[in-house]
Amino acid sequence: MEFLRSIMVAATGLRAQSGRMRVISENLANADSTGNAPGADPYRRKIPTFKTALDRELGADTVRLGKIERDQSDSGTRYDPGHPAADAKGYVKLPNVNTMVEAMDFREAQRSYEANLNLITATRRMIDRTLDILRA
Amino acid sequence: MAITDLPIFSALRTRMKWHEARQRVLSENIANADTPGYRGHDLKPLDFESHVKAAQVEGVTALRTDAAHFATRPPSGAGPFDTRRITDFETTPEGNRVVLEEEMMKVTANQMDYQTVATLYSRGLGLIKTAIGRGA
Repeated sequence: MEFLRSIMVAATGLRAQSGRMRVISENLANADSTGNAPGADPYRRKIPTFKTALDRELGADTVRLGKIERDQSDSGTRYDPGHPAADAKGYVKLPNVNTMVEAMDFREAQRSYEANLNLITATRRMIDRTLDILRA
Repeated sequence: MAITDLPIFSALRTRMKWHEARQRVLSENIANADTPGYRGHDLKPLDFESHVKAAQVEGVTALRTDAAHFATRPPSGAGPFDTRRITDFETTPEGNRVVLEEEMMKVTANQMDYQTVATLYSRGLGLIKTAIGRGA
Protein backbone atom coordinates (compact mmCIF):
# COMPACT_ATOMS: atom_id res chain seq x y z
CA MET A 1 0.00 0.00 0.00
CA GLU A 2 1.32 3.33 -1.11
CA PHE A 3 0.50 5.09 2.17
CA LEU A 4 2.55 2.65 4.19
CA ARG A 5 5.44 3.25 1.82
CA SER A 6 5.17 6.99 2.49
CA ILE A 7 5.40 6.26 6.19
CA MET A 8 8.42 3.98 5.67
CA VAL A 9 10.24 6.67 3.66
CA ALA A 10 9.51 9.24 6.38
CA ALA A 11 10.77 6.72 8.95
CA THR A 12 14.14 6.52 7.17
CA GLY A 13 14.23 10.32 7.45
CA LEU A 14 13.55 10.06 11.18
CA ARG A 15 16.34 7.54 11.59
CA ALA A 16 18.85 9.60 9.64
CA GLN A 17 18.01 12.76 11.56
CA SER A 18 18.22 11.05 14.94
CA GLY A 19 21.60 9.62 13.93
CA ARG A 20 22.65 13.16 13.12
CA MET A 21 21.49 14.32 16.55
CA ARG A 22 23.55 11.53 18.10
CA VAL A 23 26.68 12.75 16.30
CA ILE A 24 25.97 16.34 17.37
CA SER A 25 25.57 15.29 20.99
CA GLU A 26 28.89 13.40 20.77
CA ASN A 27 30.50 16.64 19.59
CA LEU A 28 28.90 18.66 22.36
CA ALA A 29 29.84 16.14 25.02
CA ASN A 30 33.43 16.20 23.83
CA ALA A 31 33.68 19.98 23.50
CA ASP A 32 36.36 20.00 26.19
CA SER A 33 38.10 16.70 25.48
CA THR A 34 41.76 17.55 25.17
CA GLY A 35 44.52 14.97 25.00
CA ASN A 36 46.23 13.78 28.16
CA ALA A 37 49.84 13.44 26.97
CA PRO A 38 52.10 16.39 26.13
CA GLY A 39 51.27 17.70 22.64
CA ALA A 40 48.50 15.08 22.17
CA ASP A 41 45.73 15.72 19.64
CA PRO A 42 42.37 16.73 21.07
CA TYR A 43 38.92 15.44 20.02
CA ARG A 44 38.10 16.20 16.40
CA ARG A 45 34.57 17.25 15.55
CA LYS A 46 32.50 14.65 13.67
CA ILE A 47 30.36 15.62 10.69
CA PRO A 48 27.37 13.44 9.72
CA THR A 49 26.66 13.12 5.99
CA PHE A 50 23.45 12.10 4.27
CA LYS A 51 23.03 9.88 1.25
CA THR A 52 20.04 9.19 -0.96
CA ALA A 53 19.49 5.47 -1.35
CA LEU A 54 17.01 3.87 -3.71
CA ASP A 55 15.17 1.23 -1.74
CA ARG A 56 14.24 -1.32 -4.39
CA GLU A 57 11.61 -2.99 -2.29
CA LEU A 58 9.89 0.30 -1.50
CA GLY A 59 10.66 1.67 -4.95
CA ALA A 60 11.42 5.04 -3.42
CA ASP A 61 14.34 7.33 -2.63
CA THR A 62 15.05 6.83 1.04
CA VAL A 63 17.72 8.65 3.03
CA ARG A 64 20.60 7.09 4.91
CA LEU A 65 23.25 8.38 7.23
CA GLY A 66 26.47 8.14 5.20
CA LYS A 67 30.05 8.03 6.38
CA ILE A 68 30.76 10.12 9.45
CA GLU A 69 33.68 12.38 8.58
CA ARG A 70 36.07 14.21 10.85
CA ASP A 71 36.30 17.97 10.65
CA GLN A 72 39.90 18.64 9.60
CA SER A 73 39.83 22.34 10.40
CA ASP A 74 42.41 23.78 12.79
CA SER A 75 41.74 23.68 16.47
CA GLY A 76 42.58 26.51 18.79
CA THR A 77 45.20 26.47 21.50
CA ARG A 78 45.23 27.77 25.03
CA TYR A 79 48.18 28.71 27.20
CA ASP A 80 48.01 26.42 30.20
CA PRO A 81 51.47 25.14 31.21
CA GLY A 82 50.12 23.08 34.10
CA HIS A 83 47.83 20.99 31.88
CA PRO A 84 48.94 17.38 31.22
CA ALA A 85 48.49 17.90 27.45
CA ALA A 86 50.57 21.10 27.33
CA ASP A 87 53.45 21.02 24.83
CA ALA A 88 56.99 22.32 25.45
CA LYS A 89 55.85 25.95 25.10
CA GLY A 90 52.93 25.45 27.47
CA TYR A 91 50.10 25.43 24.91
CA VAL A 92 47.21 22.94 25.00
CA LYS A 93 45.42 22.02 21.74
CA LEU A 94 41.65 22.42 22.10
CA PRO A 95 38.94 20.43 20.26
CA ASN A 96 37.62 22.17 17.12
CA VAL A 97 34.05 22.02 18.44
CA ASN A 98 32.10 25.27 18.38
CA THR A 99 29.11 24.84 20.68
CA MET A 100 27.17 27.57 18.83
CA VAL A 101 27.58 25.76 15.51
CA GLU A 102 26.53 22.49 17.13
CA ALA A 103 23.48 24.11 18.73
CA MET A 104 22.35 25.52 15.36
CA ASP A 105 22.96 22.18 13.70
CA PHE A 106 20.86 20.52 16.36
CA ARG A 107 17.99 22.94 15.72
CA GLU A 108 18.14 22.14 12.03
CA ALA A 109 18.09 18.40 12.71
CA GLN A 110 15.14 18.90 15.02
CA ARG A 111 13.27 20.86 12.36
CA SER A 112 13.79 18.13 9.76
CA TYR A 113 12.81 15.47 12.29
CA GLU A 114 9.55 17.29 13.00
CA ALA A 115 8.84 17.63 9.29
CA ASN A 116 9.11 13.86 8.87
CA LEU A 117 6.95 13.33 11.93
CA ASN A 118 4.31 15.69 10.53
CA LEU A 119 4.28 13.77 7.28
CA ILE A 120 3.59 10.55 9.16
CA THR A 121 0.71 12.22 11.02
CA ALA A 122 -0.73 13.57 7.76
CA THR A 123 -0.46 10.17 6.08
CA ARG A 124 -2.15 8.47 9.02
CA ARG A 125 -4.99 10.94 8.80
CA MET A 126 -5.39 10.10 5.13
CA ILE A 127 -5.54 6.39 5.98
CA ASP A 128 -8.22 7.22 8.57
CA ARG A 129 -10.25 9.01 5.90
CA THR A 130 -10.03 5.92 3.73
CA LEU A 131 -11.32 3.77 6.57
CA ASP A 132 -14.15 6.26 7.08
CA ILE A 133 -15.51 5.19 3.69
CA LEU A 134 -16.03 1.75 5.17
CA ARG A 135 -17.96 3.20 8.09
CA ALA A 136 -20.17 5.47 6.01
CA MET B 1 -21.55 -4.75 -12.60
CA ALA B 2 -19.56 -4.06 -9.49
CA ILE B 3 -20.03 -0.83 -7.59
CA THR B 4 -16.46 0.13 -8.36
CA ASP B 5 -17.20 0.07 -12.10
CA LEU B 6 -19.48 3.07 -11.84
CA PRO B 7 -17.78 5.98 -13.62
CA ILE B 8 -17.96 8.29 -10.63
CA PHE B 9 -16.35 5.77 -8.30
CA SER B 10 -13.57 4.84 -10.71
CA ALA B 11 -12.84 8.54 -11.29
CA LEU B 12 -12.69 9.18 -7.55
CA ARG B 13 -10.51 6.11 -7.10
CA THR B 14 -8.01 7.33 -9.69
CA ARG B 15 -7.89 10.64 -7.90
CA MET B 16 -7.29 8.91 -4.57
CA LYS B 17 -4.49 6.86 -6.09
CA TRP B 18 -2.95 10.03 -7.43
CA HIS B 19 -2.98 11.61 -3.98
CA GLU B 20 -1.54 8.43 -2.53
CA ALA B 21 1.32 8.46 -5.06
CA ARG B 22 1.89 12.16 -4.45
CA GLN B 23 2.12 11.59 -0.72
CA ARG B 24 4.94 9.13 -1.35
CA VAL B 25 6.81 11.54 -3.62
CA LEU B 26 6.45 14.28 -0.99
CA SER B 27 7.69 11.96 1.74
CA GLU B 28 10.81 11.26 -0.36
CA ASN B 29 11.40 15.00 -0.67
CA ILE B 30 11.04 15.58 3.06
CA ALA B 31 13.20 12.61 4.03
CA ASN B 32 15.92 13.93 1.70
CA ALA B 33 15.55 17.56 2.75
CA ASP B 34 19.14 17.61 4.03
CA THR B 35 20.82 15.37 1.46
CA PRO B 36 23.42 17.24 -0.59
CA GLY B 37 22.59 17.45 -4.28
CA TYR B 38 19.05 16.14 -3.95
CA ARG B 39 16.43 17.67 -6.22
CA GLY B 40 12.82 17.46 -5.18
CA HIS B 41 10.09 15.87 -7.30
CA ASP B 42 6.37 16.30 -7.61
CA LEU B 43 3.59 14.67 -9.62
CA LYS B 44 2.17 16.25 -12.70
CA PRO B 45 -1.35 17.50 -12.05
CA LEU B 46 -3.94 14.89 -12.86
CA ASP B 47 -5.46 15.43 -16.32
CA PHE B 48 -7.95 13.48 -18.38
CA GLU B 49 -5.30 11.52 -20.29
CA SER B 50 -3.62 10.14 -17.19
CA HIS B 51 -7.07 9.45 -15.82
CA VAL B 52 -7.69 7.08 -18.70
CA LYS B 53 -4.19 5.63 -18.53
CA ALA B 54 -4.47 4.94 -14.81
CA ALA B 55 -7.74 3.12 -15.35
CA GLN B 56 -6.08 0.82 -17.89
CA VAL B 57 -2.86 -0.20 -16.15
CA GLU B 58 -3.82 -0.76 -12.60
CA GLY B 59 -1.86 -3.17 -10.50
CA VAL B 60 -0.54 -5.78 -12.94
CA THR B 61 1.71 -8.14 -11.02
CA ALA B 62 3.27 -11.49 -11.73
CA LEU B 63 1.66 -14.46 -10.05
CA ARG B 64 3.73 -16.48 -7.58
CA THR B 65 3.19 -20.14 -8.29
CA ASP B 66 6.02 -21.37 -6.11
CA ALA B 67 7.13 -20.29 -2.67
CA ALA B 68 10.73 -19.95 -3.94
CA HIS B 69 9.78 -17.22 -6.40
CA PHE B 70 10.70 -13.68 -5.64
CA ALA B 71 7.83 -11.59 -4.39
CA THR B 72 7.06 -9.03 -7.04
CA ARG B 73 5.59 -5.65 -6.62
CA PRO B 74 3.96 -3.41 -9.15
CA PRO B 75 6.59 -1.48 -11.15
CA SER B 76 8.35 1.03 -8.96
CA GLY B 77 8.04 4.75 -9.31
CA ALA B 78 4.81 6.61 -8.98
CA GLY B 79 2.87 4.01 -10.97
CA PRO B 80 0.91 5.33 -13.89
CA PHE B 81 1.46 8.94 -12.87
CA ASP B 82 4.32 11.03 -14.23
CA THR B 83 6.77 12.70 -11.91
CA ARG B 84 8.49 15.92 -12.73
CA ARG B 85 11.22 17.89 -11.09
CA ILE B 86 10.05 20.86 -9.15
CA THR B 87 11.17 24.16 -10.54
CA ASP B 88 14.07 25.82 -8.83
CA PHE B 89 13.06 27.99 -5.97
CA GLU B 90 16.01 27.97 -3.66
CA THR B 91 19.25 26.04 -3.70
CA THR B 92 21.35 25.58 -0.60
CA PRO B 93 25.16 25.77 -0.95
CA GLU B 94 25.42 21.97 -0.93
CA GLY B 95 23.05 21.73 -3.91
CA ASN B 96 19.85 20.69 -2.17
CA ARG B 97 16.71 22.10 -3.73
CA VAL B 98 14.05 21.03 -1.25
CA VAL B 99 12.32 23.82 0.66
CA LEU B 100 10.89 22.24 3.78
CA GLU B 101 8.11 24.81 4.29
CA GLU B 102 7.01 24.46 0.69
CA GLU B 103 6.84 20.69 1.04
CA MET B 104 4.84 20.88 4.26
CA MET B 105 2.32 23.11 2.49
CA LYS B 106 2.04 20.56 -0.29
CA VAL B 107 1.51 17.75 2.23
CA THR B 108 -1.30 19.72 3.88
CA ALA B 109 -2.93 20.51 0.54
CA ASN B 110 -2.61 16.88 -0.51
CA GLN B 111 -4.18 15.71 2.73
CA MET B 112 -7.11 18.12 2.39
CA ASP B 113 -7.76 17.20 -1.22
CA TYR B 114 -7.64 13.53 -0.32
CA GLN B 115 -10.16 14.17 2.43
CA THR B 116 -12.45 15.87 -0.07
CA VAL B 117 -12.29 12.94 -2.47
CA ALA B 118 -12.80 10.39 0.32
CA THR B 119 -15.84 12.30 1.56
CA LEU B 120 -17.24 12.46 -1.98
CA TYR B 121 -16.75 8.73 -2.27
CA SER B 122 -18.72 7.99 0.88
CA ARG B 123 -21.43 10.47 -0.25
CA GLY B 124 -21.65 8.49 -3.48
CA LEU B 125 -22.11 5.30 -1.50
CA GLY B 126 -24.79 7.11 0.51
CA LEU B 127 -26.63 7.90 -2.72
CA ILE B 128 -26.63 4.24 -3.67
CA LYS B 129 -27.87 3.29 -0.23
CA THR B 130 -30.71 5.78 -0.64
CA ALA B 131 -31.54 4.22 -4.01
CA ILE B 132 -31.79 0.72 -2.55
CA GLY B 133 -33.98 2.06 0.20
CA ARG B 134 -31.90 1.76 3.32
CA GLY B 135 -31.43 5.46 3.91
CA ALA B 136 -28.13 7.22 3.84
